Amino acid sequence: MTRVTDDIIIRAVARILIPFIQLYALYVIMHGHHSPGGGFQGGVIMGASFILYLLTHGLEEAKTRMSEIRAGVFSSFGLLVYSGIGLLCLILGSNYLDYGKLSTVLKVIPAQARSLGILGVEIGVGIAVMAVMFSIFFDISTGGILPEDEEDLGARDG
Amino acid sequence: MDNFFLLLGMALFTLVLLCLYRGVFGPGVLNRMAGICAIGTKTLVILLLMGFIYNRVEMFIDISMVYAFLNFVGTITAAKYLEIKGEA
Amino acid sequence: MEVTVLVQATDKAFEILEKARNEARELLYSSAKLTSETKSLAERRQARAFLSGAQQSKLALRNFTIAFFVLFAFWILLSARFDYFHLTLGIICSMLVAYMSHDLLFSNIRLGDVRIKARRFFAAAPWFLGQIFSANLHVAYLALSPKMPVDPQIIRFKTKLESDISWVALANSITLTPGTITVDIREGEFFVHALDRKVAYELSTGQMEDKIAHVLMEADHVYIQDVLDVSRIFGALK
Repeated sequence: MTRVTDDIIIRAVARILIPFIQLYALYVIMHGHHSPGGGFQGGVIMGASFILYLLTHGLEEAKTRMSEIRAGVFSSFGLLVYSGIGLLCLILGSNYLDYGKLSTVLKVIPAQARSLGILGVEIGVGIAVMAVMFSIFFDISTGGILPEDEEDLGARDG
Repeated sequence: MDNFFLLLGMALFTLVLLCLYRGVFGPGVLNRMAGICAIGTKTLVILLLMGFIYNRVEMFIDISMVYAFLNFVGTITAAKYLEIKGEA
Repeated sequence: MEVTVLVQATDKAFEILEKARNEARELLYSSAKLTSETKSLAERRQARAFLSGAQQSKLALRNFTIAFFVLFAFWILLSARFDYFHLTLGIICSMLVAYMSHDLLFSNIRLGDVRIKARRFFAAAPWFLGQIFSANLHVAYLALSPKMPVDPQIIRFKTKLESDISWVALANSITLTPGTITVDIREGEFFVHALDRKVAYELSTGQMEDKIAHVLMEADHVYIQDVLDVSRIFGALK
């Protein structure tokens, strides 16, 4: 599924559409507390944009934008943001993910601190979901074997 | 005005049913895929009409845009899969 | 005998062309060096940057800026909240996306005046709409008449358009017109499925291709490109 084909129409349309999909994903993440959406949905759309790039431009070009290693780093980073905000609340002396206490750090009223805390957690969730979506698709489409792995296997056999 | 939107939505819904027939009983994979893509575009318009009826157009526009994007990606994925399987 | 003469003549012509190009390049370099010694530092740098073709980073910066403004306009359209918090978020997100994929949005840009393109597009739009409307009526007639006088066929033709964007524009216009569907493009050759003979005939007149070539300035891009290049060289030399 990662073979490069010369579908000019799909390549050109995807090329123009991908930036707008990515911006829309960020919009869904950032406006999660006003309109439908949130971290998970935005992350899925973001992951879909990278999957679209992989489908239309092939594995080699997709690796320059989002490689498997980078996806792993991003998924851990998203989890770090999520749990970091939760632990920060715990350190400040309230429950896990109780954003009200963040007002002492952010120097704003508790209601606004809650809004900002939820936004931060959603950004973390979005990054993690995006990376995990992409890496699941990557693993399925390559069958877990990358071209360089195949070369290694061949060398070992020979 | 609401009645007009409602009637329009019902007309589209009957078209969706026709496409669903093609999607369920259609001979071959490609006919099924074409039917499901047609359902996707009609669902988009039905969602917008629902937004007009409930007076929450801005919310339903967001939903329908996500629907359009994911429909596009899903169609391309299915087409690629079928192309490589050679099951035309 | 004649073939060898022809081959020799072609080789000779290419040789002469190559020599002329080299001479012109040397002339440009030397004249730029001459002028740059008497000019200020900034102009000298500009001339050198242009002549060595090292405009990649500048081009990337320009693409980034244009992509940022386009994406920020899209954000405003989506968000429609004008408080400082959301505008700042919008600027950050647009910059992030523009940084990630500005080369996608403008990877194969063609020169040409956007204003002229827009004017020509709005002038040509009614023709396209009329075409779609009449084709709609024709397909409805085909579908509703009891005998179903369809005669499906795949026609193929070589296009004279050059860039991938105009190929896509032509393919999508063909698909948008009821009765015809673009199946594939292979190296500039279009494979189009047509529903009956009349539709296929209308397609083969090439009127739509001409319109798209006109709107996207395919016919006159060479001329414009030349004028722009020459003007830049003169600007650098002056």
